[in-house]
Amino acid sequence: MISIKSINSMEDKNTITGTPVSRIDGILKVTGKADYSTDHPIKNPAYAVIFKSTIAAGKITDIDTSLAEKSPGVLSVITHKNAPKLNTKGGIRGGAMLQSPDIYFYGQHIGVVVAETFEQARHAAHLVQVKYEKKEGKLDFEKLAEDAVLPKDKEKADAKRGDAKKALEIADVKVEEIYSTPIEHHHPMEPHATIAEWQGENVILYNSSQIVNGAQSAAAATLNLKPENVRIVSPYIGGGFGSKGGQWGNLVLAAVAAKMVNRPVKLALTRQQMFNSVGLRQRNLQKVSLAATKDGKLTALAHEITTHAAMQDEFVEPCGDCSKIMYDSPNSLITYRVVAMNLILPTYTRGPGKSTGSFALESAMDELAFKLKMDPIEFRLKNEPERDPSNGKPWSSRTTVQCLKEGAKAFGWEKRKAEPGQNQQGNYLVGYGVSCGTYPAHQRPSSANVKLKRDGNNVTATIELAAADLGTGTYTILAQTAADALDLPINKINVKIGDSDFPPAAGSVGSVGATSYANVVNDACIKVTDELIARSGKQFFVRPTAAKLMISENVSEFQTRADSKELEGAENYSSHSFNANFAEVWVDISTGMVKVERFLAVTGAGKILNPKTARSQIIGGNTWGIGMALTEESLIDPRWGNFATRSLADYHVPSNLDIGTMEAIFIREEDKAGNKLGVKGIGEVGIVGVAAAIANAVFNATGKRVRQLPITPDKLL
Amino acid sequence: MRPFKYTNAKNISSATKLLEGNVKAKFLAGGTNLLDLMKEDVEQPDELIDITRLDLAQIKIITAGANSGGISIGGLGRNTETANHPIIRQNYPLLTQAILAGASGQIRNMATNGGNLLQRTRCSYFYDVNMPCNKRQPGSGCGAMEGINRMHAIFGWSEKCVAVYPSDMSVALSALNAAVTVRNAGGQERSIAFSDFHRLPENKPEQDTNLNPGEIITAIEIPKNNFAAHSYYLKVRDRASYAFALVSVAAALELNSNKIVQARIALGGVAHKPWRALKAEKMLVGKEATEANFKMAADAEMADARPLEHNKFKVELGNRSIVRALQMAFNSGRS
Repeated sequence: MISIKSINSMEDKNTITGTPVSRIDGILKVTGKADYSTDHPIKNPAYAVIFKSTIAAGKITDIDTSLAEKSPGVLSVITHKNAPKLNTKGGIRGGAMLQSPDIYFYGQHIGVVVAETFEQARHAAHLVQVKYEKKEGKLDFEKLAEDAVLPKDKEKADAKRGDAKKALEIADVKVEEIYSTPIEHHHPMEPHATIAEWQGENVILYNSSQIVNGAQSAAAATLNLKPENVRIVSPYIGGGFGSKGGQWGNLVLAAVAAKMVNRPVKLALTRQQMFNSVGLRQRNLQKVSLAATKDGKLTALAHEITTHAAMQDEFVEPCGDCSKIMYDSPNSLITYRVVAMNLILPTYTRGPGKSTGSFALESAMDELAFKLKMDPIEFRLKNEPERDPSNGKPWSSRTTVQCLKEGAKAFGWEKRKAEPGQNQQGNYLVGYGVSCGTYPAHQRPSSANVKLKRDGNNVTATIELAAADLGTGTYTILAQTAADALDLPINKINVKIGDSDFPPAAGSVGSVGATSYANVVNDACIKVTDELIARSGKQFFVRPTAAKLMISENVSEFQTRADSKELEGAENYSSHSFNANFAEVWVDISTGMVKVERFLAVTGAGKILNPKTARSQIIGGNTWGIGMALTEESLIDPRWGNFATRSLADYHVPSNLDIGTMEAIFIREEDKAGNKLGVKGIGEVGIVGVAAAIANAVFNATGKRVRQLPITPDKLL
Repeated sequence: MRPFKYTNAKNISSATKLLEGNVKAKFLAGGTNLLDLMKEDVEQPDELIDITRLDLAQIKIITAGANSGGISIGGLGRNTETANHPIIRQNYPLLTQAILAGASGQIRNMATNGGNLLQRTRCSYFYDVNMPCNKRQPGSGCGAMEGINRMHAIFGWSEKCVAVYPSDMSVALSALNAAVTVRNAGGQERSIAFSDFHRLPENKPEQDTNLNPGEIITAIEIPKNNFAAHSYYLKVRDRASYAFALVSVAAALELNSNKIVQARIALGGVAHKPWRALKAEKMLVGKEATEANFKMAADAEMADARPLEHNKFKVELGNRSIVRALQMAFNSGRS
């Protein structure tokens, strides 16, 4: 049954799972021995460089590659004129696969130069001359937003409960504000990169992929191959944040280039190209309307979202998701409107929808609490829903109250001044802010092999599945899980992931990775033990370990495969991770510069498999949240449709100096409604609510409410 | 990157002769800006003359001439070494602060003093070869004028160019009345007052400085001063480190008890060159060092600002920053 205990409800027996094991792949990474996508040793590679459109809308009328072709070292120049026919509906995102002269956004891939060296290819790419027939692009979001329409995605249909509009009209106290979040980019440390190597009809793609099997099927379908003809190798990923979930042009263009030059090809995007090659977090205008009685009970919650998609395809991040479930309101309205723009297709970006949506919702909650003269924590506690308000299902577990209460205690919330602008320290105004967040918890179908091997009395296990490790710790948690399930020391476990030749697995996306992988590995280890017991034909009073059976039954090699999915009955519950965020900011009175001096995230995310890697995940998410709050914004020049922010000198992610004391606390909870191990996943929730906590702290410090991110110094003058 | 010839200069004379002999050649020192620009195809030299082995890195006290008693820092001295040199830290802390406010530790370790002076604007229209930019391609227009110009100039811009000059180090050198010593291919040396070294864009934004073809920066001289106890470099930026200034202020005061004997104020992030706030400086001489006087001086200086569409905030920010920097200088860097 489901129970929540705040202390030590974990398993009784001594396990390595749940302990802070350092990354088992850490030494490989810090010594440079981990082969990321284009690091794989390949004989005689050629180098490909993509070149891009310099208009946002129209078509190519002429493309002259003669100078580029004559440039030293050049092997081939590929454009829509000579590219092989690809299936544009194969699952590669964002179009841009050289299939037509049509241009839909500035920076669309329009060709590839392949040369003996990277430098030669890049130089030759500058020599290609392109003539365009330019059309007027749809580039000014503010103007286009008025014409936004209902998205095609049925999940984004208007969701109404009661009559929020009417409740707002008759409300005692209300807030109705528009919150704006800018375009953001993922910018993982490792830009998207691919090696393509053909072996007859088969192609191996060494490629950074958050969803190994997804990359395989998209590449196969696009290249008009069968999935078994495509192998994805992706053992290490230098971050992805959603941009390596779906696959983009680089994956198949590398394969096309390799085929055309009849050699392995390495294709890596430059940092500048990353701005318009691999999706982005879309700009959102979010109107949040909240109404409450004088004593602080919500009577209406409306969240109306307007955003943009691409000309050929639609993606709308679910900004209303937090508003659906976070608070108890009898009247609720969530709507989405979208307008097509001549921009690259937006895509999943860490905490998709929830991070941006929570900025709007949790800012509005703070605004309403202030109007009600209530403490923002108290206001939230007062509107805590007993069941999921969107569907009436019981929570599998919900830790919002504990996160808020334990966080308030740990953070010293009682030191906060209720009135803004009252805490001056020298040249700074100091403020405290709080917010809540959530992210769904699910297990997705996955399969895994466990292969046991015995050498004398030494038994080792190899785990194989097509899982992904974005640098988050997948290798380590799977070794921990297998070590416990097989009762073997962790150094006897060999984890192999990131290869489509292994049994298929979920992606490391949407916070399902740890849950899906750890459960299937656990199942596989239990199954292999069961099968060894059955094979022995004996009966045991005490269940023997797989290793003991291998020795006693004189088995030298034994393996099995498990296929796992979410537990039956999981759909009867609403399962989510929850958090509360606490920020202390210092705002320079003269210059408006904001420093997040302290940040605390309290998270209830089920069983924490490894508190060390989990903490890194949470403070990593918090750090991006600080970037979202204070620094990150990409600007389009609507005359051309290009990004004026085009390097990491213009697009500011937080630097070390921007980050103060970061603390992560996990609420101990046991929630096995969805999966046997009680794992919920933490990749996304760490960024959810962060920007609001900071904006709320800025308000508490200064009395200025900034509703348009990022909160740069000019907005606080 | 375009193919180029790489030449290793043996001595100053051969370096300057090589440069004079090839208009498409560039000196290569730290390379922290030039190589980026070459990768982006903004700079297209056909020859790089590596000058890093020339003997131009010394920091020494000047013993003769107009700046006797001041300090000379070599053109090829690295930014990190210059900032942390004991004499600079002791007597010219404004320079130390300004250098350390710029770039990152890794870049400062590579970047040279001469190269720092010669950095090019970070205007994104300059950096993007597909955009119009009179500085990169004379006659192509200014993309920033009607474009995204939050980071751009509020003083001294022209219809041709609204870019700002990015160096922090130069803002301090401007306030300290430094001079740039240069040598030409004929071996002749001349000294350029810092205020004359960089140019306003006027009709020729492609020319950043008044260096003549073939000239090399051998040293930067800073005259002796009485500012060490009361100077401060304030840099306001979008993040705490590794960002170019929205506005920066180098402020230095020479005081006789609370009376201002001499004031120096230079602004960064507001113009095509370090912007000396001469009006403000003049107003402060002989006055008491009070917040009201600082504010009056800042108001006077910023009254002449001509902001663009997205950088109107720089006028107020500049005003506040001048006041804050002067206060910090007066309080010897303590807030």
